[in-house]
Amino acid sequence: MHLPFRSKKTLRAVTVAAMVGMTALGLAACSSGSNQSSSGSATKGTINWWGWTPTNSQEAKDFIAQFNKKYPNIKVNFKLIDITSYDATIRAALASSGGPDVFDLQPGARVQQFGPYAEDMAPVAKAALGSDWKSKIAPIAISGMTLKGKLTALPVGSTYAGMLWINSELFDKYKLKPPTTLDEWKKDCQVFKQNGVGCFVQGAAQEGFDQDTLQSISNSVKPGLWTKASEGKAKWNDPTIVKTLSIWKDLFDSGIMQSGALGAQQYPDANNQFLTGKYAMIMMGTWYTQYSTETAMKEAISAAGVSGAKTFPILPVAFPDVAGKGNTSEMYGDADYGLAVASKSKNQAAAETFAKWIATTQDGQQTIADRLDTLPTLKGIKPNFSQIKFVDPSLQSTPVNDLLKKVGSVSEPREALLSADVQNAILAAAQSVAGGSSTPQQAADTLEKAAEAAASK
Amino acid sequence: MTESVLHPQRTSRQAASGGRSPRGDARRHRRLQAPGLPWILPALVLGIGLIYYCIGYTGFISLLDWDGLSPEPEWVGVHNYIAIFQDPVFWKAASHTVLFFIVTFGLQTFLGLVFAVMMHSKIRLGVLYKIIVFVPVVLAPAIMAPVFRQMFAANGQFNWLLDHIGLGFLAQPWIGQESTALPVIMVITIWQWTGLTFVLYFAAMSQIDQSMIEAARIDGAGNVRTLISIIWPSVRGTTVALAILSAIGALKTFDVPWLVTIAGPNNATQFLGTYIYQTTIQLAHAGYGAALSIILLVVALVMAIIFQTAGRERTREKKGAR
Amino acid sequence: MFEVRTRWGKLLLQVVATVFVLPFLFPLIVMVQGSFAGAGWGNYSAVLGVPGFFRFFLNSAIIAIGVIVLVYVVTMLASYGFAKLHIRAREVYFWMLLVCLTLPEVVLLTPLFATTQQLGLYNTYLSVILPLAALQVPFAVLLTRNFINGLPDEMFEAARVDGANSFRGFLYLVIPLTRPIAAAVLIFTLIGAWNDYLMPLVFLQSQDLQTITLVPQFFVGEFSNDQTKVLASAVLTAIPEIVAYLCLQGLFERGLSAGAIK
Repeated sequence: MHLPFRSKKTLRAVTVAAMVGMTALGLAACSSGSNQSSSGSATKGTINWWGWTPTNSQEAKDFIAQFNKKYPNIKVNFKLIDITSYDATIRAALASSGGPDVFDLQPGARVQQFGPYAEDMAPVAKAALGSDWKSKIAPIAISGMTLKGKLTALPVGSTYAGMLWINSELFDKYKLKPPTTLDEWKKDCQVFKQNGVGCFVQGAAQEGFDQDTLQSISNSVKPGLWTKASEGKAKWNDPTIVKTLSIWKDLFDSGIMQSGALGAQQYPDANNQFLTGKYAMIMMGTWYTQYSTETAMKEAISAAGVSGAKTFPILPVAFPDVAGKGNTSEMYGDADYGLAVASKSKNQAAAETFAKWIATTQDGQQTIADRLDTLPTLKGIKPNFSQIKFVDPSLQSTPVNDLLKKVGSVSEPREALLSADVQNAILAAAQSVAGGSSTPQQAADTLEKAAEAAASK
Repeated sequence: MTESVLHPQRTSRQAASGGRSPRGDARRHRRLQAPGLPWILPALVLGIGLIYYCIGYTGFISLLDWDGLSPEPEWVGVHNYIAIFQDPVFWKAASHTVLFFIVTFGLQTFLGLVFAVMMHSKIRLGVLYKIIVFVPVVLAPAIMAPVFRQMFAANGQFNWLLDHIGLGFLAQPWIGQESTALPVIMVITIWQWTGLTFVLYFAAMSQIDQSMIEAARIDGAGNVRTLISIIWPSVRGTTVALAILSAIGALKTFDVPWLVTIAGPNNATQFLGTYIYQTTIQLAHAGYGAALSIILLVVALVMAIIFQTAGRERTREKKGAR
Repeated sequence: MFEVRTRWGKLLLQVVATVFVLPFLFPLIVMVQGSFAGAGWGNYSAVLGVPGFFRFFLNSAIIAIGVIVLVYVVTMLASYGFAKLHIRAREVYFWMLLVCLTLPEVVLLTPLFATTQQLGLYNTYLSVILPLAALQVPFAVLLTRNFINGLPDEMFEAARVDGANSFRGFLYLVIPLTRPIAAAVLIFTLIGAWNDYLMPLVFLQSQDLQTITLVPQFFVGEFSNDQTKVLASAVLTAIPEIVAYLCLQGLFERGLSAGAIK
């Protein structure tokens, strides 16, 4: 660009402006060295907690009230930040010294990006649970929160995916069975469509949920390869991934995916479609367990915009064997979120007390468990089903309990291994294949190149 | 057709105040020699004082390979800029931005102007109409995004409407395919911002001398002729201001494409603004995002200067023709 | 502006205006309908029942008023200076001001965060008011300067002859005559300040200082999203802005009829 600095006047104008600007620079630049030596008292003080969850401010208040029963002198200020603004907000805050004392962290990109600015929580876990603390927490939750040997956050809850949830009323009404193969899935969809009911609904505009579907397809083609590719031990243009992408394409072409899926988001779009009974199947993980209960389901249906509707029982079913190779599609999971203590916090001791209480005590973890949206990470804690009422206990009790039992042994990570760059490339591959602008092979090649470029950085 | 209709400015000047200049810039009126610098100083201090630090900071980190947080950024010089010019997504985003600006600015200007004129005429329920056009301006895109996704979904209200007015064959998954996602984003933007264009034109039209319009009518000019020959030239300053705002707005476009379509499918609604957000926040390439921002800043400034200068030239030509 | 004398002409104009407005109305209907879906009025009472709702409302009002006052004063002074007073290299100053408009908000966040910390403004209203005002001023000046340019110089010269200095000229000519454009500036400054989401979120830590734009968050979670209540909160949030628009509307019209420009 060429600014017309031709005359003395112009020069003077620029000088004045530069001086004004310098003043601002000076004001902002005289940064005082960060003060980290004092970590404060462990039983009193005020701590600021930033997170995208718990959403409901009442729930956060309940947590804090429970916590305050034991630690009355620690005041916790919870600041709710919606998940879409979380990264922008926390990044600006962590870059300065005025950020939170405790903040939510999630395996994968968030641990990689913000984990370096958190304290190592391993000593805290050890102090709370003893030297064999690792055996007392779900192993998958620990690995996802670990970055270069440091436990960046104490895992609070965990979530698992790799299955479908079905509207059992719709399946009964049209005398259909949950699909176990790709062909059955297609046939079920035909029947639903003939009856004017939607079959399967997904928010395919979003990476996270596409990634779940792709990982499940891939696990049906060749178990474990997805994880290897995530770890950089296999290539993303491996024939398994190419095959995965072509089955993914088939989901769109054969009418399993709803029309316009690429423009839809899982929340609220797909979720509302499923909860209002317009579609019979949706791909959600263990967090959907909360809607197997009468109260949560009723609220959710109302939130989806239908008043006074009757609740219907939803059931978890295994992801179909879409590759037809007889592989049962493995599930995968991660810590849902954990609490990290900021390196720059001046109240680290109090912050650690709080994180420790939620993540490692019976009281804290039972509160988490009973909400059913995220599973407790401390072993031996289970939702209290005597107080939680299913929509249809005879139908749902067994499958839901089986599901909760099954996930205890899941060892495959969901998001923990992937960087934001690779996830972005996965979304690009998924959308370009589904939209028809690249073949599965081309898309897989592009994905591999992007992953290599990201790894070399 | 009379001469006065063809030369409205002349008519107005003769009618109103006998030969005054259409623009009052003191540059041509040295009689008003009072120094203006103190008057603009508060604005400069506020704007430049707060924002120029951000610009300097952004310019600096655009030369780094940095995640936005790490204490050890790597100095890469102009590498980010070179990479941007080789990045196909950048060019895709840039072309969307240009197309988006042309379409939305053109349509908003047309709609806003016509609506402002209609609202200055005698219309029943005028207040209600004004509110309807204005309300979209105040609604946050974050709130409206799911509403629009629902409206333009395959089984949404827009297809339902098409079906009911006999255009069912046009129904399609509007935001779920690359070909139609960008036009939908434009439609939403026009829906949202026409109200602002209207409000500004409406205010600008209050400055038009009624006697000028009456003179034109006596000369036999019809409504359309009056609109083209008198109203349109009289609000040129507002049009230039709106062009500048729309150009900068288009370059920064973020809310609607990000919230409605997440810049997809397959980058079909990727803009410079969304790409900056994606690289800076989502992918944590703060240096790359900063370099994109600096390119945006330069393009925006050049566009603003071009529009402003062009607006002035047009006025001078008119003056010269007198 | 348009003159229609015949009955058919009047009807035609009315029909054209109505057809013009309908596409704008359609999404609004969908939205309001959505805000009553499910729990009906219950959605609205749930929004009003958000703990601290009125506090948030008040905070938004304080911030919006702060921004408006600051923008109005600074803009009027600067626009008069740019339009009617003598400034060397005025366009360069003007472009320097315009540059402030060009950076996206997310890019500004990190450096602004550092600035507010250093100035000791973090977690105060000013940390939101100042940047918001700084971002509104350039366009407000662009518009207002342009409007003042349209006022005849003779008027200011006459004032000078009468012995008025520039400040009196400003007070007694510029302020009253710029009412229509000031109303427009007021409106979009209000919208900009009232609707801003990111700055209050980032720069205000205390729950007591949060603004109305953060209310929808209470209904959107990681694994839930209650659109009905989000839309209800949008309706409630929009009401003050619409009321303000209705109140200020008179100013546009008055400018038209006053004929003060001559």
